[in-house]
Amino acid sequence: MRPAGLIASTLFLLLCAACSNEPRPRPPGTLFVSVEQQSAWVRNFNPLFPGAGSRWPTRAGVYECLELYTPSKGDYQPWLATGHTWSEDRRTLRFTLREGVRWSDGKAFTAEDVAYTFQLLRKHAALDAGGVWRFLSDVRAEGAHTVAFQFSRTFIPGFGDLAAQPIVPRHIWELVADPVTFTNPNPVATGPFTQVSVFRNQVYELSRNPYYWQPGKPAVRALRFLAFPTNDQANLALVEGEVDWAGNFVPAVDRTFVAKDPKHHARWFPLFGSTVFLYPNTTQPPLNDVRVRKALSMALDRERLVEIAMYGYTRPADATGLNDAYAGWRDADVADDAWVRHDAKEAARLLDEAGLTKGPDGLRRQADGSPLTLDIEVVGGWSDWVRAGQVVARDLRKLGLQAQLRTYEFSAWQARLQKGEFQLAISWSLDGPTPYTFYKWMLSSATVRAVGEVAPANWQRYGDKETDALLERFEVTDSREEQQALMAQVQRRFSETAPAIPLFPNPSWGESNSKRFTGFPTEANPYARLSPHAEPDSLLVLTALAPREAP
Amino acid sequence: MRYVLRRLGFYLLAAWASLTMNFVIPRLAPGDPATAMFARFEGRISPEALVALKTAFGFTDAPWHVQYFTYLKHLLTGDFGLSYAYYPSPVTEVIGTGLLWTLGLAGCAVIISFAVGTMLGVLAAWNRGGWLDSALAPALAFLGAFPYFWLAMLALYLFGFGLGWFPLRHAYSHDVEPGATLTFIADVGRHAVLPATSIVVATLGGWMLSMRNTMVAVLGTDTLRLAHAKGLPPRQVMLRYAARNALLPNVTGFGMALGFVLSGSLLTEIVFSYPGTGYLLILAVRNQDYPLMQGLFLVITLAVLAANFAVDLLCLWLDPRTRAHA
Repeated sequence: MRPAGLIASTLFLLLCAACSNEPRPRPPGTLFVSVEQQSAWVRNFNPLFPGAGSRWPTRAGVYECLELYTPSKGDYQPWLATGHTWSEDRRTLRFTLREGVRWSDGKAFTAEDVAYTFQLLRKHAALDAGGVWRFLSDVRAEGAHTVAFQFSRTFIPGFGDLAAQPIVPRHIWELVADPVTFTNPNPVATGPFTQVSVFRNQVYELSRNPYYWQPGKPAVRALRFLAFPTNDQANLALVEGEVDWAGNFVPAVDRTFVAKDPKHHARWFPLFGSTVFLYPNTTQPPLNDVRVRKALSMALDRERLVEIAMYGYTRPADATGLNDAYAGWRDADVADDAWVRHDAKEAARLLDEAGLTKGPDGLRRQADGSPLTLDIEVVGGWSDWVRAGQVVARDLRKLGLQAQLRTYEFSAWQARLQKGEFQLAISWSLDGPTPYTFYKWMLSSATVRAVGEVAPANWQRYGDKETDALLERFEVTDSREEQQALMAQVQRRFSETAPAIPLFPNPSWGESNSKRFTGFPTEANPYARLSPHAEPDSLLVLTALAPREAP
Repeated sequence: MRYVLRRLGFYLLAAWASLTMNFVIPRLAPGDPATAMFARFEGRISPEALVALKTAFGFTDAPWHVQYFTYLKHLLTGDFGLSYAYYPSPVTEVIGTGLLWTLGLAGCAVIISFAVGTMLGVLAAWNRGGWLDSALAPALAFLGAFPYFWLAMLALYLFGFGLGWFPLRHAYSHDVEPGATLTFIADVGRHAVLPATSIVVATLGGWMLSMRNTMVAVLGTDTLRLAHAKGLPPRQVMLRYAARNALLPNVTGFGMALGFVLSGSLLTEIVFSYPGTGYLLILAVRNQDYPLMQGLFLVITLAVLAANFAVDLLCLWLDPRTRAHA
C-alpha cells in the first residue's frame, strides 16, 4: 500500500500548494485578444506567406500596408503612404510614402523597402497572394519617399492588392535565405506591436514598437494571446471577463454575454462577411435553365432560414447578392428584384414552364419523364449550414422536388465543389474592396473551369459575355461615377442570369469588453470593423484603444 | 534471447507496414492541402493565392515509388519537412508544442489508473462480496459508461467554474514563468488535477473489473489451494500467487493503453484547453497536412510498438511459461 500512500500524499501537497495561490492581478495595460483558435502556439511572424501559419496580427498590427481599406467607411485612408496618383495613361501608379516612419530596430523606412517587398513577390510566386505580378511589369523607388508601380496593362482594381500588401524591411529580408520558409521569429516591422516579449505554447505577448510613427500610440502596453482550442473555451473566457476583445461566434450573445455586464460587454455583428450562396451546378440540366434557378430561389423562405440557421443574426440576401460592406455600390432597384423573395406559386409556375411538371405522384419529372432528384451538399460538422440545408431541402420538397441534404467531410465536400461534381451546394463567396472580385468569380467567363478541374470559386461554372465586357471596362476606369454605373449594370446582369442563389450575408463576429479598455468600434462609431479577423481594420482598432487605468 | 530477437524482428516488420500505410492512406483522401488551406479562408483571400499556396507546398508529380523512397529516406534521417497547416514551421517544432504535455498528463493518468484500478481489482476479488466488490465496482463501471466528453465538462463546470477550486484551462498559468521552480511545478500540478482525474475516473472501472474477474478465476485454481494449504500468510498468497498470475491480461492491456496515450487524449485536450498531440492530429487530418500527419503517426507507431515490446519483456519476467518457450 505504500506507493498508493505516496501518490496520495504528493497529490495532497500539490493541492495545498495550489489552493494557496490567489489569483494574481492582471498586468496593467495588457489587452487580451482571442482571434485564432489553436491548442498551442507555433512561433511564426512571416507576413508574406499567404497561408494561415503566421500569428495574428502579423499582417496588420506587426507589419503595415500602404493604404487601409475600411468597408465600414467604404474608402481608403492613408497609412504608410500618404497618398497615390495615377499617371495620365493609367499605366503608372505612384505612392507617396509617409516621412519619419522607422522600423522597430530604429532604421528609417524608405521607398527601397517597398520596392524590395514587391521584388520578393516577383521572385517567389509563393508569396504573391494577390497575384500582383500578373499586371505589374516593374516597381522602382524614386527617391526616398516615392514608389512607382509600372503596370503591364491598365488594371485599376489592382490598386487594392498593392495597397494592402504588408511591407517588410529590406535590410533584414535581404539576409534571409528563403523568405517562403522563413518563420521570422523576431519581427522587425513598422506596426504598433512588434516586440515578442513572451512566447510559450499556451501564451504569447506582443509589446509596443519603441519607434512607432504615430506619436503617443499605441496606448495599449501589450497584447496577450491565450491558446483556446475551440469556440467554447474562448467564449467561456470572454464571458468570464478574461478576454477583452474577440471575434468568435457566440450563440444567443445578448443573453449569454452582453447581459452579464451591459455597461461594458458589447457585440457588433455587422453584415460585412461574405454572402452565403446555394450554388447550382449550371453544367447540369435542369440547373442550366435560369427559370429553374429562379424557381429554386423563390421556393425558399429566407426569413425562416436565417432565423433557424443563423439565430437571426443576419437578414435574407437581396437580389444583388452583395453584403453590407458594399452598401455604397448596391443598386436599390436591382436589390428589390422578386426572384429572391418567397413565392411558392410563382416558383411552381416557372418550373412548369421549364418543363418540370408534376407526375401523378406529385413529384416533378424532367422533360424526358425521368424523376428529378436534387442533392444539397454541405460540410457535416458546420451546424449553421447544415440547418440552412435542411430548410432549403424542406422548402424544395414542398415544390414537388426530391431534394436531399447530403453531408460530407470537409475535404470531400470541397473537392466535389471545386471540381464541379455536385448538383447543389452551400458555400461562401469571394470578397474584395470593390464588388469587382465578387462578381468576377460569380459571372466572368474567364473564371469558368472545365468540370473535373479545380476552380477556386465560380463553382456554379457560369460565364456571361455581357458581364465580361462590363468588367473589362471597370478594370480601366478610376472614376468612381463610372465604376458605380458599370457595377449597377453588372448587378442587373447578376439578377437577370441568377448564376447562383444568394441566401444571406454573413455577420462579421466581434465582441468587446470595455472594462479595462476604451475606444472599441461600435455601430454608433464605425471607424473600423470590430471583428479582429478583419484585416487591415485591426490596425485602426489597435491604435485607437486606450487603457482605462494609468498604465 | 532468441525469443527477444524474434519479437524485435516482428516489431521491425510491423513498423515498416504501418509506415507504409502512413504514406498511402493520406494520399488516397480527396482534395489537396493547398485547396484545403485556401478554403479555410472562406473567401477572405483572393483566388490568386491558391496558385501561391500550390507553389509553396511544392507538389511533385514524381511517380509514387520515387515519392515513397524519398519519404522513407526522410524518416530515417529525422527530416519530417514543413507542416502545411503551420507553414513554414517544421513538423518537429509543431509536434514539440504538445508532445511532452501529452506524455506527462495522459501517461501519468494511464499509469495511475492502471495501478489503482488493478490494486482495487485485487482487493475486490480477495474480499468477494465486500463493499469494494459490491459497491465500488458497479459505481466505477457506471462512471466509466458516461461519455467522456460529458464527464469532463461536468467536472470542469463543477470544480472549475462553480466552486473555483481548479483552473478552467491550460497546463499552467499564462503569467507564470516556466522553469524548475516550486511555483511552476505546483502550478502545473494544480492544472493537471482536473484533466488527469477525469481520465482516471473514466478508465479506472475497466482496469478494476478485468483484474477482479481474472483474479476470481485464478483464486479457484489448485495452485492457490496449495498455497493456502502450505500455510503461507494470506497477504503473500494474494499478491505473489493470485495477483501475479492474474495480472497478465491487464499488463497486455496496459501496453496497448500506454501506446495509445499519444493519440487518445483529444477530448481532454479540447475540454481543458490542454496542449497536446491529439488536437494536432485532428488539425493535420482536417488540413490534409501530410507532413504533420506522417510525423505524428510515426511518433504514435513507435510509441505503440515500444510499449508493446516493453510489455513483452514484462510478461517474460512475470510468466515463466513464456521463458520456457524461448
